[in-house]
Amino acid sequence: MVNERRSGRANPWVLLVLTVVLLMVIAASCLFGMVDIKMEDLLKAFEQWRAEGRMPQMLHYFLNFRIPRVLMSVLVGAVLSVCGAAYQSIFRNPLTDPYILGVSSGASLGAAVAFLLGLNAFFWGVESLALVTALLTVLLIYGIASIGNRMHTTTLLLTGVCMTLLISAIISFLIVLNPHKMDSIYFWTMGSFANRGWDDVLILLPVTVVGSGVVLWYGRDLNLLLAGSEAARSMGVEVEKVKRLLLLVTTVMVAFAVSSCGVLGFVGLIVPHAVRLVAGADNRKVIPYSILCGAIFVLLCDTLAHTLLYPNEIPVGSLTSMIGAPLFIYLLYKNKKSY
Amino acid sequence: MITLDHIQVCFGDRRILDDISAEIAGGRITAVMGPNGCGKTTLLRCIGGLLQPSSGRVLVDGKPVHDYSARALAQKEAFVRQQSQTDLDFSAFEIVLMGRNPYQRRLQNESQADWDIVEQCMRQTNTWHLRLAKPGQMSGGELQRVMIARALTQQTPVLLMDEPVSNLDIAHQFEIMHLLREAREKTIVIVIHDLNLALQFCDDLLLFHSGKLLYQGPVAGGLTPENIRTVYGVSAHMADNRIIYDY
Repeated sequence: MVNERRSGRANPWVLLVLTVVLLMVIAASCLFGMVDIKMEDLLKAFEQWRAEGRMPQMLHYFLNFRIPRVLMSVLVGAVLSVCGAAYQSIFRNPLTDPYILGVSSGASLGAAVAFLLGLNAFFWGVESLALVTALLTVLLIYGIASIGNRMHTTTLLLTGVCMTLLISAIISFLIVLNPHKMDSIYFWTMGSFANRGWDDVLILLPVTVVGSGVVLWYGRDLNLLLAGSEAARSMGVEVEKVKRLLLLVTTVMVAFAVSSCGVLGFVGLIVPHAVRLVAGADNRKVIPYSILCGAIFVLLCDTLAHTLLYPNEIPVGSLTSMIGAPLFIYLLYKNKKSY
Repeated sequence: MITLDHIQVCFGDRRILDDISAEIAGGRITAVMGPNGCGKTTLLRCIGGLLQPSSGRVLVDGKPVHDYSARALAQKEAFVRQQSQTDLDFSAFEIVLMGRNPYQRRLQNESQADWDIVEQCMRQTNTWHLRLAKPGQMSGGELQRVMIARALTQQTPVLLMDEPVSNLDIAHQFEIMHLLREAREKTIVIVIHDLNLALQFCDDLLLFHSGKLLYQGPVAGGLTPENIRTVYGVSAHMADNRIIYDY
C-alpha cells in the first residue's frame, strides 16, 4: 500500500545520489574527452608547472578548454531542464519546452544579430539582444495563450513551429548577406560547447544559480497553476504576478544559455518527463531533480558528441534532438485523446 | 458577511449582471438560482475575487474583495468550480492537500495537521477510498466530491459553490447537502438548480431573472409558483411543502 502521507518535497538522499553521479560524470568527462588525459600525466604536468613555472601545453588545454567545456554543458543542461519544467506548468501543457515554443530560436536570432553588429565586443552585448528577441517570442506566445484559459496543443505547436521557421528564414537571409561569417552564425542554430572558456562560465553560472533558485522558490505555486489559473488564485496564488516573474526569469536563463552555446533541442522536454515518470508530478521534486538530471544528461550527450566519431565532432544539438524528437512524437501519440 | 454593492458586469456590450445589491448573511446557506446564462457563475466569480465587476464592489467582512491579497482571500473564501480539470497528474490526496496552500510557508513541508485535515475532509465527502486515484480514473461525481473536499480543507468561513451537486447521484446530493447543513458556522453561497433541494436545505435565496435580482429573502418566500413561472417559464404548484411541476 502506498502511503499517501509522503512529503511533496525533494528527498535529500535522492539529491545526494544525483549530485554524486553528476560529480562522477564531470570527473569522467574531464579525463576522457577528445584526447584521453591520464591522471598520472596530469599530476606530472602539475609537478612540472610548479618546478619550472611554465605551464605545459597539456595542462593549459585541460584547465582552459576541457574544464570550462564540461562546466558549460552542466550549466546549460540545468538551465534548459528547469525552464522546460517551469514552462510545462505555466502553460499547463506537457509538450512545452524552450525549443518547442521557439524561445531558444528567438534568443539565437538576437545572438546572431548582435554578433553581426559587433556587439560581442561589449560585456553582455550578445546576451542582451538575445534576451530582447527571446522576450518578444515569449510575449507573443503568452499573448496567444492567455486569450483562452488554457493553451491548446495545436496553438502551441503552430506558434512554436512558426517562430522557428521564421527565425531560420531570417538567419539564412543573414548568412547570405554575410557569407564570410557563415560558420559563426550557424553556430547559434546548432548548439555546441566547443571553445567555451572561463568567461562564458562566469557569465552563465550566476544566472543559472539565481534563476533556478527563483523557480525552486515557487515550486508549490507551479503545482497549483497546473490546477488552472482560477483554481490557483482561489487557493492563494498571485497568479499573474507569479507567471510574469517566472516567465521573465526563465527567459533570461534561456537567452544566456543560447547566447553562449546555441540552440539545444528538446532537453527541456526529455529531462522533466523522465523525472516525472519516476518521481511523480510534484514540482517540488521535479524541479530540483531536473536541474541535476539535465546537467548529467547534457554533459553525457556532449561527451558522446565529441568522442563517438573522433576526430569528427557531432553537433550536440543534433544528438539531443535525435533522442528528443521521437519522445515528443510518442508523447503526442499518448496524449492524443486528451487534447 | 458579504455585501454586494451595485454590481454591474458587462462582457462587451452584453450586460450580464445589472445593478445587483444584496446582503448575504453570515452562517446561513444562500441559494443562487435562475435559468442558464443568467449570470449566477459570474456573480460567484465576483464574490470570489476572480472577476472585477465593471462597476460596483463586493465587500467581504466590510473590506472590498480586491483589497485582499490572494493568500488572505484564500483563507476567507473557498471556491468549488462547476468544471474541474481531468488531466491533472496528481492523486486525489495531493489535489485535496493543495487546499492547505494558503496556510503554508514557501519551501515548508506539509505538516501532520495538514494531513489530518485532508483525511478528515476526504472522509466527510466520502472520497477517502479514492485518495490514490488520479482525476482521469474517477467519475465526474467522484471528482466533484474531491473538489468539495479540497475547498473544505481551506477551512474558510465562506464557501462559494457553483453547482456542486449537479453531477452527483441522489444519495451523494443529500450527503453533501447534509454536510453543508452541518457546517453551521460557515457562510455558504451555492448555485443550485434543483428547486426542492434548495427548499429543503437552503436558508436564503437570490433569484435572478435576465441579469436582474428578482427576489432576495428566505428561500420559502421566493420559490412561489408565480416566480417560477416568471423566471423559468414553467408552471408549478406547491403540495406538502414541495414544488410539483405541471406539464
